[in-house]
Amino acid sequence: MELTPDENVIFTLGGIAINATIVNTWIIMALLVGVSALITRNLRPDVPPSRWRTALEVAVGGIVDQIAEITGKSDARVLYFAGTLFLFIFTANLATVVPGFDTPTASLSTTAALALTVLVAVPIFGIGSRGIGGYLRTYIEPSLIMLPFNIIGEVSRGISLAIRLYGNIMSGAVIAAILLGVAPFFFPVLMDMLGLLTGVIQAYIFAILATVYISSATATEPKAPDGTKPEKDRT
Amino acid sequence: MSVDWITVGAQIVNFLVLIWLLKRFLYRPILDGIDAREAEISARMGEAAAIRESAEETEARYKAEIAALRASRGEMLDAARRDAEAERDALLSDARTRLAEEQAERESHRTEETRRFAADLHRRGAGALLALTRKALDDLADETLEQRIALHAASRLRGVAEALRDGAGEAREAVALTRDALPAEVQAEVRAALKDALPGFALRFDTDPALPPGLSLRLGGAQAGWTVDSYLDGLDAALDDLARQPARQVTHAA
Repeated sequence: MELTPDENVIFTLGGIAINATIVNTWIIMALLVGVSALITRNLRPDVPPSRWRTALEVAVGGIVDQIAEITGKSDARVLYFAGTLFLFIFTANLATVVPGFDTPTASLSTTAALALTVLVAVPIFGIGSRGIGGYLRTYIEPSLIMLPFNIIGEVSRGISLAIRLYGNIMSGAVIAAILLGVAPFFFPVLMDMLGLLTGVIQAYIFAILATVYISSATATEPKAPDGTKPEKDRT
Repeated sequence: MSVDWITVGAQIVNFLVLIWLLKRFLYRPILDGIDAREAEISARMGEAAAIRESAEETEARYKAEIAALRASRGEMLDAARRDAEAERDALLSDARTRLAEEQAERESHRTEETRRFAADLHRRGAGALLALTRKALDDLADETLEQRIALHAASRLRGVAEALRDGAGEAREAVALTRDALPAEVQAEVRAALKDALPGFALRFDTDPALPPGLSLRLGGAQAGWTVDSYLDGLDAALDDLARQPARQVTHAA
């Protein structure tokens, strides 16, 4: 029994093994981009919106509202990043119900890649917002002693992101596969339904956590009315 | 459980590509569409607000105009009433004037018709009177009347002598015509009068039963008559003159 689709090599390209994770990722990418392009191809203000366009607007609007609720402001770059995270993970997790389709999010490589992008994106957004000095200063706050802990925290939350998503999706797929062997008529359906719910929640959690990390990195300290920095609560 | 770092790298690349593709085909079109629609809605709401404001201004203006019209309606009605009364008075005055003119014209026509009728009546009466008088005189005239007329003519001969002499030309004989023969003393009276008024003329008496009673004196081409007909002709002329005068004068004359 394969625990990860990385081991399922579909073809080799220039000596590089193209496994099911990558191919299925392409499929999901093609699905997302294709549907988006199909719905938005005739998008003009004078054309009444179709129900599909309305659905997309609701989805994008919901993501924008969530990001604005967390970060307190509307940032298109955060939308592109966190929204793509959510849509990709959401679609990949829903694809677990397709028989024979190994969802990419059941691969630790995929979740690790997504976690790495979050790990890289957070300092990029932080430096873009605060400047490199302001961002690095957050590692020695509230005191220099906290530097190693902050670094460990920064790395560990990336690892936790990757492991959480991978563990949930992979475990759901594995449990469904085991139950399919033991009781093939009823329990797998229940587990698949539970897996769908878990997958949607994990997609939401992953995107929300990424947004929270980016928000905390880009948050600027409020200034007192006299222009001085307020005294921090150090407890 | 293991991590395939090649797959990790490929997935990072895939994810970055997916970000770009979704930005290109999903986020930007949707956000631009939402922004455009919000802008259009905002523009339409602004336009609607402007139209509403314009409508409210128009409503206020019309209400003010209606109030002004209501306020001035009484004045307008009074003015219209005054105008109507003035027009009515003018029309009545004009009608009265025309009626008076027509009445005056009809009165004039009536007066003229009355005068014509009266004149015609007088003429007819005079004609009848003359005819009756003429017949009566013709029937009743006798020698005495003719002799009286001849004596009267002898007394009037001096008044027409000049005209007779001028009309006589070269003739030197006068002829006195009567219906009946005059007595000798009357002839002598007439001859004496002729001799006195027209000396140099010889007088000869003659009769013509067809003549009316009286005396006609002929000197060449000139003639003077003192007969019943000449009197009646004079009466006829006097009645014609009287009939041609206006009705009032006729009335006064009557």
